[in-house]
Amino acid sequence: MPVHESDICVIGGGITAAMMVERLSELKPGLRITVVEAGRSIFDRENRGQYHRRALEYGEHPWHDDFIADQQAKGMISMTMAVGGQALHWGGACNRFSEEDLRLKSLFGLADDWPITWAELERYYVEAERRLNVAGDTSPYPQDRRSAPYPQPAMPLSYNLQTLKRWAEQSGLKFSPLPLSRNVTAPFGGRGACGLYDTCGDVCPTGARYSPDYTYQQLVAANKVTLHDRMLVRRLVVDQGRSTIAVAQGHHQDRPNEVTEYRAKQFVLASGQCWSPHLLLLSTSARFPNGVANRSGLVGRFMNGHKFISAQATIDEETFPGQNMTHSLISREYFRCATDKAFVRHDTRVWESSAGKEPRLRGGDGGLLLGDELLKEWRGRALKGSSVRLRTYYDSHPSLDSRLSLDPTSKNRYGDPMPKIERRLDLAAEAREAATLAHCTEVFERMARASRGRLAGQPSVSDYWDHPAGGCRMGTDPSSSVCDSFGRTHDHENLFVIGAPTLPTGGCTNGTLTFVALSLRSAVKIAES
Amino acid sequence: MKRRALLQWLVSGAAMLPLRRADLSALSAADELSAGHVFLLRDVASTVLPSAIGPKGQDEAVDNFLRWLRDYKEGVPLSHGYGEPRLVRSGPSPAPGYGAQVTALQQAATERGGRFGALPLSERRAILDAAFKSAGVQNLPGRPDGKHVVADLMAHYFRSSAANDLCYHARIGRHTYRAIRVTTVRPLPLNGGRGL
Repeated sequence: MPVHESDICVIGGGITAAMMVERLSELKPGLRITVVEAGRSIFDRENRGQYHRRALEYGEHPWHDDFIADQQAKGMISMTMAVGGQALHWGGACNRFSEEDLRLKSLFGLADDWPITWAELERYYVEAERRLNVAGDTSPYPQDRRSAPYPQPAMPLSYNLQTLKRWAEQSGLKFSPLPLSRNVTAPFGGRGACGLYDTCGDVCPTGARYSPDYTYQQLVAANKVTLHDRMLVRRLVVDQGRSTIAVAQGHHQDRPNEVTEYRAKQFVLASGQCWSPHLLLLSTSARFPNGVANRSGLVGRFMNGHKFISAQATIDEETFPGQNMTHSLISREYFRCATDKAFVRHDTRVWESSAGKEPRLRGGDGGLLLGDELLKEWRGRALKGSSVRLRTYYDSHPSLDSRLSLDPTSKNRYGDPMPKIERRLDLAAEAREAATLAHCTEVFERMARASRGRLAGQPSVSDYWDHPAGGCRMGTDPSSSVCDSFGRTHDHENLFVIGAPTLPTGGCTNGTLTFVALSLRSAVKIAES
Repeated sequence: MKRRALLQWLVSGAAMLPLRRADLSALSAADELSAGHVFLLRDVASTVLPSAIGPKGQDEAVDNFLRWLRDYKEGVPLSHGYGEPRLVRSGPSPAPGYGAQVTALQQAATERGGRFGALPLSERRAILDAAFKSAGVQNLPGRPDGKHVVADLMAHYFRSSAANDLCYHARIGRHTYRAIRVTTVRPLPLNGGRGL
C-alpha cells in the first residue's frame, strides 16, 4: 500500500486550496504540502485558443474530461472535478459581501451572525484582491469602505455599458463596473492580458481571467507542493484513542483496487460545499457513526447560496450587442436594509443583451425569410432600441433542513453513496419570498420606466441557488457549528475545512472572493499550527 | 470548368454521380460532401444569404460552413451547462444527411423546371419551406444542428460575428480578439459597400 507523508495534506484542488497553499508556502517555506485532487490536471494552456473556438462553433465543453462520470451529486450546479475546480470556468466576479452579511442575527434577528468581524474579514479581502489582481472601482456607496484600493482600475466599461449605466442610474440607484479578477491591460501572475474574447465563463484563451491551474503549475514547478491528481479520497481515519485525523485514504483512477494512504500533521479539506461535507459524512466508524467532525450533527446542514430574480427590459437607447457581454454593472444600493423596515437584501446587476434581437427564420406572418429579407427583418428589430438583462441575487437564508445527504440510490464505482443536495429556506425567508419578488420587480420597473423602457415579461425566480456554500458552517459554539472561524473543526484539532462550506449564510452577491478571503485567513492559523 | 458551365452540368444530372475530392479538389471544400453537392449548396447560398456580402462573401460563407462540417467531431462532450448540468455528447456527423437533402432540393427544383437558383423566388421559397417543415426546422438554430443543411448554412452565417456586424452596420467583432479601448467607444461603421 503506497503511503505518502507530508506536513499538510490538502484534499481538493480548487481555487481556495490554490490560494491557501500559495500563502502557506510563503508563511512557512519548506513546509511539505501535498494536494490530493480527484480530477485530472488540465495544464494544456497552449490549446485554449482552439478550445475557445470550438466551444463557440460546436458548443463543445472546453475543459476535456474535467468530470468523473460516477462521481456526481444531485443538486450540484457544475459537473467539474479537476485541478482548478469550478474556477477553471468562472467569470471572475469578485464582489465583496457587506458587514450586514456577518451580522444578520444582531441587526435583523435573522439567521446567524458569523464568528468574525467585518474589519478582520476586510483585511483578507484586500489580500485576496491582490492575489487575484482584481480590477475594480471604489463603490459610490460610502458604507462600502475599503482599507486599500483595488490592485487595478476597473475593467473599462464598453460603449454599451456606459449607455446602460446612464440609463440605469436614472432610477436613483448608483452603479459600478463589476469587480473582476482579470488582467485588464498587462500580464500578471504568469497569465496574459485580456483580449476581450468575451468567453470568460467558458475558457479564457490568454489566461487573463484568473484560473487556479496557473497557480498549481507554478507551485509544482517551484517544488512548493506535491500534486496528486486523479486520486479520490474516500475516507478520513481518526487516530485510535485520540481525536486527531491520522490518515486520508484514497484510490487512484488507474488503480481502483489499491488504497493509497496520506499521513500528515494537518489535514485541510478544500473540496467545496458539496464534496467536503460528503467526505466527512462518508468517514464513519464505530467511534464516529455520524461521520467525522459531526458531533453537532450539522455536517451537510444549512446548505446555502442564494436565489436570484431575472428579467429582461427593453429601452430606447441604442447599443451594439457583442461588445463585452461578460462584463456587467452592479449596484449595492440594497446591500443595506433599514432595521425598521421589511427585510430585503440583494445586489442589482445589468448586462448588455441580444434577447429578442437574434436573427429569425420566419417573419411575424410565419412566412419563410431568406437572404436579404431575413437581414431586413432582423435589422428592423435589432436597431429599434436595446435589450437589457437584469438580475438580483437576494439574501436566501437556509434552514437546518437545507441539507446534503448520502443518496443510497446513487453510488460510485466503490459503492459510496453520492451526495444529494436539497436546499430549503428557513421559515422567515420562506415567508418573505413573495415580498422579495414584488420588491425586485418594482426596482426593475422603476429602472425601466426612468427611460421610457419596459420589462419584457414578468421577472422570474431561479429554480436553483447560485454561488452555493455551507455544509460545514463556522461558529463559536461546537453544538451549533462544525468549525471555528478559521475552519478548524471543533472535533478534530488537526482537521480544517476551508472556503465555501464554512459560510453560515451565502450573502447576496457572488461568493468566490469571500471563499478565498476566508481561506487566506485559515492559512495563517494552519501555519501557526 | 467555369461556374456557369459547371452549374449547367449539375442540372443535367451528372452531379448526382459521386465525386471525389481529388477529382475537383479546387471546387470541393469538404470531404463529407461531394463536389456536386457543394456546388448545389453554393447555388442555394445566393438565395439564403444576404446579397450585401456579394457572391464572394457568399462563397466564403459556404466555405466556412464546409470547414465547420469537416472539423465536426462526433461523441464529444458538449458544454455541461451551469445550474442543472448534464452530460450531452455531440451526435453523428450531419454530412450524410446533408448530401441527401441537397440532392432532394435539386430534384425538387428540377421538377419545377430547372436549376434551383434559376427558379423564381416564390418557387425557391416553396421548396425550402417544404424542406424545412419536413425536417422539423422551426427557427434558425443557435448553431448548426443537423436538421437541414440549408438551415444550418444560414445559422452558421447569420449567427456569426460577421453577420452581427452586418446587421448593426458596425465593427463590433463579437468573440474576436480586440483591444479593450476599441469597445469603449461607439463601434465604427462597416466599410462602404457592406453597409445598409
